Amino acid sequence: MTEDTKKLLYVMTNGPENPDKTYAPIYTAALSAAMEIDTSMYFLMHAAELLKKGVAETVALKKGGSLKQFINMALENGVKFYVCEESLRDLCNIEASDVIEGVRVVGTSTLADLALDADSVISF
Amino acid sequence: MRTECSREWDTEGELMAIINGCEIPDELHYYLEGSQMTWIRLDGENATIGLTDPAQTRAGRILHVRIKAAGTSREKGKPVATIESGKWAGPVHFPVAGTITRVNEQLELRPVLINDDPYGEGWIAQIKVTNQAEVAGLLKADQARTRFNEIIARDNVKCIRCQK
Repeated sequence: MTEDTKKLLYVMTNGPENPDKTYAPIYTAALSAAMEIDTSMYFLMHAAELLKKGVAETVALKKGGSLKQFINMALENGVKFYVCEESLRDLCNIEASDVIEGVRVVGTSTLADLALDADSVISF
Repeated sequence: MRTECSREWDTEGELMAIINGCEIPDELHYYLEGSQMTWIRLDGENATIGLTDPAQTRAGRILHVRIKAAGTSREKGKPVATIESGKWAGPVHFPVAGTITRVNEQLELRPVLINDDPYGEGWIAQIKVTNQAEVAGLLKADQARTRFNEIIARDNVKCIRCQK
């Protein structure tokens, strides 16, 4: 990444209760990272559940397959995953130790830092 | 008759222990690192780059290709292009450091050429190799086949070309 690398932040609020709204944000973020854009995703509210071990495998997509392959693809492409600690703990009853590898568990204030640091913020 | 080309990176069928329909031409070199499965045809200081048969199969029917402009120089491992298929979105990396000398403009209108003819009309870019020392790190076909056998068995790949 060079100094003129652009930064995008995707904010994700949809979780397993709404599978149709889970695929596109993650796919789009994966694509951004492949385009040499410094890409981050911040998962909060019920979106945090998607990052619990074993959950993404159960989110079936209409196009076939599960969400897990797209999360793997995004991580492989270099998307930085952040999950809101408060959403995890207080809304979803998930321990930080139950979160999949490659995800940073962070506080709510990190969302403000990431948003201010990004060139653009896209919210789903 | 091959009528499907978008869902044959099969993770649920029976395990395949051998390369199944995947063509790995002898005359090419290969770059297999992480998710990258790229071929490179060396011609002195010049080279042509494209996706291998297993790579196009994994991607499925390709919908869009964005290739960096001629004149772009990058190090090995940086993107020369971005591929989108709806089930796959990822970069195609420079297998060695280089400068793009020519891009395959046909792919803008017919990205599926990568699926139809990955080693021919579906080539992605031509480059001038700027670090010849890296060429020694590329895999020859026999070395690549060993690695592909592992990948294909692991991911249960069945190579299929889109029907023209």
